[in-house]
Amino acid sequence: MAKESAKKKTKGPEYIRIKYNAHRPYDWSTGKYLGKVYAEAKENKKLVGNRCPQCKDIWLPPTPVCPKCKIDMGWDWVELPQTGTLYQYTYLVYPLWDPHYGEKWANPYPSAVILLDNGVFYRHWLEETDKEKLKTGMRLQAVWKEDYDERGQGVQDILYFRTIEE
Amino acid sequence: MATVTEKLEGMDVWLYHGQIYIPNTFSAGAVGSRFLIELRDKKRIMGMRCPTCNRVYVPARSICKDCFEQLDEWVEVSDKGTVLTYATDYETKSIQPTGSPIVYGIIQLDGADTGFVHMLGEVDPEQLRVGMRVQAVFQKEREGSILDIKYFKPLA
Amino acid sequence: MANRVAIVGIGQTYHTSKRDDVNQPEMVAEAVRSALTDAQLSIRDIESVFTGNMETFEGIFLPDHGMAAEIGALGKPGFKVNTGGTTGASAVAEGFYMVSSGLYDISMVIGFEKQDCGDTTAAISAAAVPVWAKGAATGAIGEFAKQALSYMEITGGTEEHAAMVRVKADKGACRNPYAHLKLGLQSIDEVLQSPYLVWPLRLLDFCPQSCGACALILATEKKAKKIHKKPVWLADVEVVHQEPFRAGVFGDPTGKETYTQHVACEKIYKRNNITDVRKQIDMAEIYEPSNWEELNLYEHLHFCKKGESWKLIEKGITEIEGEFPVNPSGGVISTNPIGATPVIRVAEAALQIRGDAGEHQVTRDTKTAIATALGGPNWTVMFLLKRSL
Repeated sequence: MAKESAKKKTKGPEYIRIKYNAHRPYDWSTGKYLGKVYAEAKENKKLVGNRCPQCKDIWLPPTPVCPKCKIDMGWDWVELPQTGTLYQYTYLVYPLWDPHYGEKWANPYPSAVILLDNGVFYRHWLEETDKEKLKTGMRLQAVWKEDYDERGQGVQDILYFRTIEE
Repeated sequence: MATVTEKLEGMDVWLYHGQIYIPNTFSAGAVGSRFLIELRDKKRIMGMRCPTCNRVYVPARSICKDCFEQLDEWVEVSDKGTVLTYATDYETKSIQPTGSPIVYGIIQLDGADTGFVHMLGEVDPEQLRVGMRVQAVFQKEREGSILDIKYFKPLA
Repeated sequence: MANRVAIVGIGQTYHTSKRDDVNQPEMVAEAVRSALTDAQLSIRDIESVFTGNMETFEGIFLPDHGMAAEIGALGKPGFKVNTGGTTGASAVAEGFYMVSSGLYDISMVIGFEKQDCGDTTAAISAAAVPVWAKGAATGAIGEFAKQALSYMEITGGTEEHAAMVRVKADKGACRNPYAHLKLGLQSIDEVLQSPYLVWPLRLLDFCPQSCGACALILATEKKAKKIHKKPVWLADVEVVHQEPFRAGVFGDPTGKETYTQHVACEKIYKRNNITDVRKQIDMAEIYEPSNWEELNLYEHLHFCKKGESWKLIEKGITEIEGEFPVNPSGGVISTNPIGATPVIRVAEAALQIRGDAGEHQVTRDTKTAIATALGGPNWTVMFLLKRSL
């Protein structure tokens, strides 16, 4: 705990402010549906979603119940294409920091919504950091972490999406 | 970012070990600040009296919880008081002010109508009892914190 | 509907980025006392107290418990709600349900946030589901930024239109004694020259982090007429939940998703026989953390046809003096004490109906108004307010 006394140079009362940066550890379970995504990413460098038996919509993140049909999704998994088009993007200009460990994010980086080639939307970040070269509709491909031991972080096993020429 | 994820043995479930790190600030406000500054600068423990019910709150607060009065009548209370109750913590965490064990006490200072939570020190656990008379021991270096009072020690 | 419910007391603090002179409970107490003064009531007249706050944003555990005395809730029923951006509106809805049900005659609802105590964007990102953490690390700003890009591509609206919305908001804020940011913007160029935060969103395109609180006193019809000369009726309420869109959290560039704003406003318009929104409703206080979101909400709340919202601002229709004023208070983009923000929307709409908005009173005689809140994964809470039933 650090104490900061907001003593003003100008006249006026002194106010006490106490700063505290408590690190709060937690364990978060993926559950078995997202666990399948983790396993496929780690073992096979594959991106998967699950499919509703009724409306046939594919969900990533996967879901146990179809949000539209409100029925049990069962266990029908579909491999998703690793290419797609840039649908929406932003380009982080103001540097933010990682609220988990208090470190600054590498800056800049573009965060994007990608329309995968089977029509499923997927959120990820891009390799291209030059804003001038970003354009909606551009073609993208997933780039995976090649080292097996480095994988195991779910969708973060995809380093980024790389611009491709077709 | 050093995140750790592990697959649970024999289950299709992965566990993510993370932590949250968010900077927070507590602002004491005008009344809270004056209470802390009096501790720091004058080693005085200040209370606030409600003009309606006459109750003296320690630490000082700005609103009477029963009368809803806006309070501004500062009164100095004694640095001596009586232990209303106590508990001993043998498993302290890093966020707590000192290592184990910590004896916490609720102390009614002479002149106050409320209990005041602090630590008891220089005390033999065998001697602890409700009704015990204690006195505040101040830190040499004070910084405007409730811990400017080091602890309360038994009165000889 | 059971009992009719009226707003009989309105109180808010001034808003600013730092309040070292008060702790959190003391700040909230200012709004409570202000509402009691407005209603000419004593705290003993208040039967139940409902609060709204995003405690993750300030790092204070159970803040409502720590301020029971300061807000006059000691020994009374009530609880805190926390529903993201809609938090304050959920609290108002809660108070409405309680009074409407006949359980209490007089209830108070309070929204508050003291943002100098924490880091909101960090809290949103840190508390997000960790697997997607990096993608969400831009907090709410990144979501509105993506949406701004889609807005331009789909509707043909431009950065200039968004800048016009920003200048309009500032005009209102400068006339509103409670508003936080009062920039005195003279032209859209000042907005267009402000630096990018998250492209294409600029610094002036997004709301500030404010400290402040807003309290409303709600009463049944029987009590309301005795308490206040000008009770404002909460004629209708609608709450609609949603999960995040797969493409955009707040915006839907695919055109296939259901907007909660659509669901909420269509239900309210239908129940109240509103067929021509801008004719039958006199003004609106909507929840626009960004000027771009205001343009989107014009469409989503059916103030105009799809894709035409930029025409409303271009023609000055939503200005304070305009035919259909929107956010004359300066809105969320000028003042955003999260938990209090939706309560302020309702409070400001009610002040317009009472004719008590002072310098930011709209030109149009306001008999009917709407107030909305937006938050989390695109939830909507919407209110219809009326001068007479």
